[in-house]
Amino acid sequence: MPDLGLPAWSEPFAEDARSQLVRAAGLRQLDREWAWGGSTGAGVKVAIIDSGVEGSHPVVGGRLVESVTVQITDDEAEVIPDEPIDMYGHATACAGIVVGLAPDVEIYSVRVLGADLKGKGAAFLTGLEWAVEQGVHAMNLSLSSKSERLFPYFHEVVDQAYFKNVALVSAVNNVPGLSFPSTFSSVFSVAAHAIPDPEIFFYNPSPPVEFGAWGVDVPIGWKDGSTTVATGNSFAAPHVCGLVARILGKHPGLTPFELKAVLAAIANDPGELPGSG
Amino acid sequence: MNDPGLTAALQALRLAVRRSAVARRLDADAEQALLQTIVEATVALFEAEASSIALFERDPDRLEFRVAAGAQGAGAIGLSVPPSRGIVGFVYSTGQPLALSDVISDPRFDRAAAERTGYVPRSIAAVPLVDRDQTVGVLQVLDKRTSPTFSLRDMELLAVFASQAAAAIRAARVQRDSEQLLRAVLERLGDDMSPEQIDSLVGAAAMELDAEEETPFWQLVDRVAALRELSDREQLLVVDILEVVASHAARGRRAV
Repeated sequence: MPDLGLPAWSEPFAEDARSQLVRAAGLRQLDREWAWGGSTGAGVKVAIIDSGVEGSHPVVGGRLVESVTVQITDDEAEVIPDEPIDMYGHATACAGIVVGLAPDVEIYSVRVLGADLKGKGAAFLTGLEWAVEQGVHAMNLSLSSKSERLFPYFHEVVDQAYFKNVALVSAVNNVPGLSFPSTFSSVFSVAAHAIPDPEIFFYNPSPPVEFGAWGVDVPIGWKDGSTTVATGNSFAAPHVCGLVARILGKHPGLTPFELKAVLAAIANDPGELPGSG
Repeated sequence: MNDPGLTAALQALRLAVRRSAVARRLDADAEQALLQTIVEATVALFEAEASSIALFERDPDRLEFRVAAGAQGAGAIGLSVPPSRGIVGFVYSTGQPLALSDVISDPRFDRAAAERTGYVPRSIAAVPLVDRDQTVGVLQVLDKRTSPTFSLRDMELLAVFASQAAAAIRAARVQRDSEQLLRAVLERLGDDMSPEQIDSLVGAAAMELDAEEETPFWQLVDRVAALRELSDREQLLVVDILEVVASHAARGRRAV
């Protein structure tokens, strides 16, 4: 690829670049059986901060336990109960991927996108804050903000999440310029690879993007009970979120720091992929 | 990865953008012309059935398809969709690039809107047009002829085209805003100038634009560009300060 002056966050996970993803050998003592063997994500609360999860969609498997949205009036943002419907299909897609990997998680839907939400950045921030206060264990954030004004507020909430042991899993955005929270250091930042396997993921020792998961031609649930096939970092993040839920199901109380170390230890070795000899 | 075809295509795109930048001086609707160049380059590079750009407009909030290219593109021009719906609405609202394939098998996929264009796609890729920290619109591509889906590389390339489009929109809007600001300042300060005189002065200033040169007009353009990054409240404060300065300047001039 010629130098396009753009962040090509998925590049480290491309087939011809993966040999660079080397890790400390000592970490390899942990394996996937230890990490999540037998776990279905039971007891783990996962918030989907997005367009609202469609509760009745088959991909959600009846795991939606609460739906809220953010109401913005004048300068006030308030979290209120919401119908279990999806404005676009995107939140349902993300929830479906998480449930697919961890079928017994509890899904909390926080709708921060939609017709009535004009102050998008503020709604996102308020929703994120609410989910941290609820004591969820992990969150999927397949969206980002570019607002310079909101930067310090996001930073503060993301730190609060870290100190409360909430794992924030966020899709990186392949758009130039400031984009957060995926670029904050405590967040699990995820870009896409093209290997069609929900359990294949890579650890990238050259930040800011730390993990690569399946995000190309992913079969997903979409609006109104439908299904489709999608590509984007948006669909890579929930794969990591689902695996985090599995690990937390087996090892409750792991901190985000410990979770990242476990993921780094059990990430696929690019040289030992099925079919790569 | 070394791809001579891609490098040539990018060079062609950059040349087109530069040429449009010159044409902008002469063409009253420069933004439109440049955006048209970009969707045409997108269709050619992706070998796609259609490409189009929708820009966000207010009152009511909508994404309006301004330009389109490709065999199946023409029907989109002039259409508006609410930002709260569909792929284009999602990409605008989240700033997150997205591609869907197999959309035709989904009976609820924005079919009504797609049918109005006279073309229902099988696959769609959409990326946001980001101007600094603001999303101003969406660039979309429908149906590559060579593949049923869009690859990650396609998405990254599309982001390059989107960044060119966003830069073009920014340049056109900053120039428009600068002319408006210059006009406003002259109207305030030039009590003894007729509207025709103000017009010709603004016109002359705009005609003399040379991006390489440090003229006062370009300094003004830079200031306006900086102002665009302020919040509404900060902009109001700047306007208040400008008014005070302008009234003092006018008073000073009369005293001379």
